[in-house]
Amino acid sequence: MSTNHTSGAGSATHAKKAEIFCQDEARVDWHSKALWMLREKRDRAASSIPEWEQLRELGSQLKLHTLTHLDQYLEEFEKNCHANGIQVHWAKDGAEHNQIVHKILAEKQVKKLVKSKSMLTEECHLNPYLESHGIEVIDTDLGERIIQLAKQPPSHIVVPAIHMKKEEVGDLFHEKLGTDAGASDPLYLTRAARAHLREQFLSADAAMTGVNMAIADKGAVVVCTNEGNADMGANLPKLQLHSMGIDKIVPNLDSAAVILRTLARNATGQPVTTYSAFYRGPQTDGEMHIIIVDNGRTDMLQDKILAESLKCIRCGGCLNTCPVYRRSGGYSYNYTIPGPIGIAVGAQADDTNSIPWACTLCGSCSYVCPTKVPLDKIIHHHRRLKAKAGKLPYGKRSYMPLVGNFMASETMLNCSMSVARTALRILPGAVLKPFSGAWGKYRELPIAPKSSFETWFNKNRGQ
Amino acid sequence: MKIALFIPCLVNQMMPHVGIATVELLEKLGHQVILPKGQTCCGQPMTNSGCFDEAKKTTLKLLNAFKGVECDAIVCPAASCLVAAKENFHEFDTSPEAQAVIDKLYELTEFLHDVAPIKAFNKPFNHKISLQLSCHGIRMLDLATPSEQMGPRTNKVEAVLKAIPSIEIVYPGRHDECCGFGGTFAVDEGAVSAKMGKDKAQAHAETGAKYAVGFDPSCLLHLDGMMRRQKLPIETLHIAEVINAAL
Repeated sequence: MSTNHTSGAGSATHAKKAEIFCQDEARVDWHSKALWMLREKRDRAASSIPEWEQLRELGSQLKLHTLTHLDQYLEEFEKNCHANGIQVHWAKDGAEHNQIVHKILAEKQVKKLVKSKSMLTEECHLNPYLESHGIEVIDTDLGERIIQLAKQPPSHIVVPAIHMKKEEVGDLFHEKLGTDAGASDPLYLTRAARAHLREQFLSADAAMTGVNMAIADKGAVVVCTNEGNADMGANLPKLQLHSMGIDKIVPNLDSAAVILRTLARNATGQPVTTYSAFYRGPQTDGEMHIIIVDNGRTDMLQDKILAESLKCIRCGGCLNTCPVYRRSGGYSYNYTIPGPIGIAVGAQADDTNSIPWACTLCGSCSYVCPTKVPLDKIIHHHRRLKAKAGKLPYGKRSYMPLVGNFMASETMLNCSMSVARTALRILPGAVLKPFSGAWGKYRELPIAPKSSFETWFNKNRGQ
Repeated sequence: MKIALFIPCLVNQMMPHVGIATVELLEKLGHQVILPKGQTCCGQPMTNSGCFDEAKKTTLKLLNAFKGVECDAIVCPAASCLVAAKENFHEFDTSPEAQAVIDKLYELTEFLHDVAPIKAFNKPFNHKISLQLSCHGIRMLDLATPSEQMGPRTNKVEAVLKAIPSIEIVYPGRHDECCGFGGTFAVDEGAVSAKMGKDKAQAHAETGAKYAVGFDPSCLLHLDGMMRRQKLPIETLHIAEVINAAL
């Protein structure tokens, strides 16, 4: 197991954690390549649909429309759920969500819960809460089960164990599931996991899933998986629970269809997820509960720019394309959700205030996004909010006013740059503060010209 | 045309050859070139750090250098600075005078493609070049369709350069992935920036091209430092230098 990964919450800056991740360059290359392959698959899938850009625009507009009429659609959804025999609960934050879930499970004396793919339950830290109340929680998505056995948080929202090599999974399964020592064949390991998970499904008292979409006019939820594990869970025990953020709501089946067409294509390059299940009522003699969670989302809606991050459908496409995420790993972001979307929705939760700067503002994420979340603009906006709040990292609070004054003065800029050019020309490895320390550590310093362009122009064009 | 040059501080102080090539090529194309006084920086290092208060004085100083200057276009040989100047001018000054300046702003490639296309090149450029499609130019100025976008594709950079006799144009792997410069990102996130730069420099070198050619001096400065540190058999050139050599 690599020692480069620390748990999600932490007090080191993104840059510090990324620097540690970058020390193992072969692993960085492997990580970057694995994720870039997903981006390439996505490109092939997206290019196979002539109307791809129109789908993105439709996706963006329908999510914006729903977000601006959220109260209306949530009420409609609740009403239709009730009509379908579904019990609806409202949670203002993670703590309330966990209490609601525990209350439902405790009433039915649930001892074991099988859970499928939900970043929201990660966001609410549900597993440790339930475990502290004596309920065993089994994550059933293969990737999530792997990291659960390894006692790690997810490092990606769609492929949560992407940071682990198959040999590492083999070692883990050998220790936890009794597979052969040294075995790393993916087929063998998957079969072992499948047998192990079957036992869990058959012995569980309740099942819980996340929600990809909630359809207002049907009172139904959509759950997308590739392994069918959500369906194995939800169809076996009589008690099923679904957790959703308020942002998951869409008006109708037509709008769900738009998102279903882009979700899997943008995530993994598949035309559609292997299983896209619609749940619209409990089993015979069973119970179905939906917990609708706010947890800071209405606060985000108050800020016009941040609000657009709630258009996200969690495909993970922005992580796969992000050159910084691919080279710094999911655990460097100080939030449950990493990468560009993690910065957009998690910047306020980062106690180091550094994650908005873990970005070159290259804009690739915004162009990849199937619902046109303007991620680079949101990240840029977070920097401004941090600056306004006096929470700048990397010493910016002290040096930025100096830079501001310096750049605004031709005299200061010209004099000091003239000195700097001379220094660069005559001093080997000269230190041009505040720039060249970090610059020169990894690159050769610029070859300095003798004089400025302005000097040349004045001399040669006679101004 | 009468063209006012917008020469960003980085070009003025560290890469004057880019400015010189820009002047020479525009003059060879028959334009009159002037350099309005009082230009410093577009404010991008500050605004990209979130520090808008600190950027205001600098940005307005640059804007004022162009206000009232009689010219047909304001041309800049740096895409990222051009984008930042446009956005920052708008942020800090909403007057009609400011808008008049914003409306005349063009990045060099954009100008040569959209406004005053080159009729013919006089000299060949007998080299293979690997194009550096820097992020702000392609994703914010539409100089080329980004690889993430589907549908019809345009590439103004290639369109301008491919008319040069004997030139061979190729692209690095992951052809429009960010090089990792990112302004203060190169300092704040040194390790990741360096890894991105290293990967990009190697991708350019692997094409077998003699030069990596781009429109953004800051990315080129970063890649140049990476190429020399890695001792790669490739050098950087600004698009203005290539065009100037072929006119």
